[in-house]
Amino acid sequence: MIPLSYIVALSAFLFCVGVFGVLTRRNAIGILMSVELILNAANINLVAFNRYSNGTDALGQVFSLFVIAIAAAGSVVGLVLIIAIYRNGKSIFVDKYDLMKW
Amino acid sequence: MAELVFFVIAAAICFFAVLVVTSHDIFHSSVWLAMTLLSVAGLYFYLDAPFLGVIQVLVYVGGIITLFVFAIKLTAHIGDKSIVQTNRQTIFAGLCCLILFALLMNMLQHSCHGPFPHSEPISLKQLGQSLVSVYVLPFEFISLLLLAAMVGAIAIGRDKK
Repeated sequence: MIPLSYIVALSAFLFCVGVFGVLTRRNAIGILMSVELILNAANINLVAFNRYSNGTDALGQVFSLFVIAIAAAGSVVGLVLIIAIYRNGKSIFVDKYDLMKW
Repeated sequence: MAELVFFVIAAAICFFAVLVVTSHDIFHSSVWLAMTLLSVAGLYFYLDAPFLGVIQVLVYVGGIITLFVFAIKLTAHIGDKSIVQTNRQTIFAGLCCLILFALLMNMLQHSCHGPFPHSEPISLKQLGQSLVSVYVLPFEFISLLLLAAMVGAIAIGRDKK
């Protein structure tokens, strides 16, 4: 089997790409996509450490299942919020939105 | 052979992920995201977690990507190619992410040293049994969370007229 550090390096790269997307996207949907990349990086780590550990516990896989479920719930609510904002102001660019700024 | 498979999957993940964040058209970006998630599912199969791979394909590629495509099409002219999709911090953000990656690699160099024990992969039976015995409480909370998300999505998305 390949060394664990290769998989961790891959997930670190995926995380950094996701952070780059969150920092640079103007479109709120693009930001949500980058967040999905970050969550996938975390999932890869969980599964890899579970595979390489000595125990017979399925903790890592169970938790990455939970992360997938929470990511699904989060992106559903996020996309609905984006559509509600779009209906309100005809724009979903995050640098155009100062509705909550006092 | 097994190493070659891993490197192919890893190269696919990196390539598609970079395309997701750099693509000018937000719709193309969602297609690249689907490809990235499929490659991650392949990595799960490689790591002897076939159940997770199937769930990844079902939930992410089947569900979340469909939602993304719907949201992009409902906000149609926003994702147009003629509008700039990135803000002016691209260079700074790239620099920050490079530094972050270098720091993570530096940390990785001082940890994660083998040799790792060759354990048996977790079987599907084991995963299912632990889901309804040891981890039954978080499992139930997840169903509560999904219900809350569904009700919240309907309440926010409803047209108030």
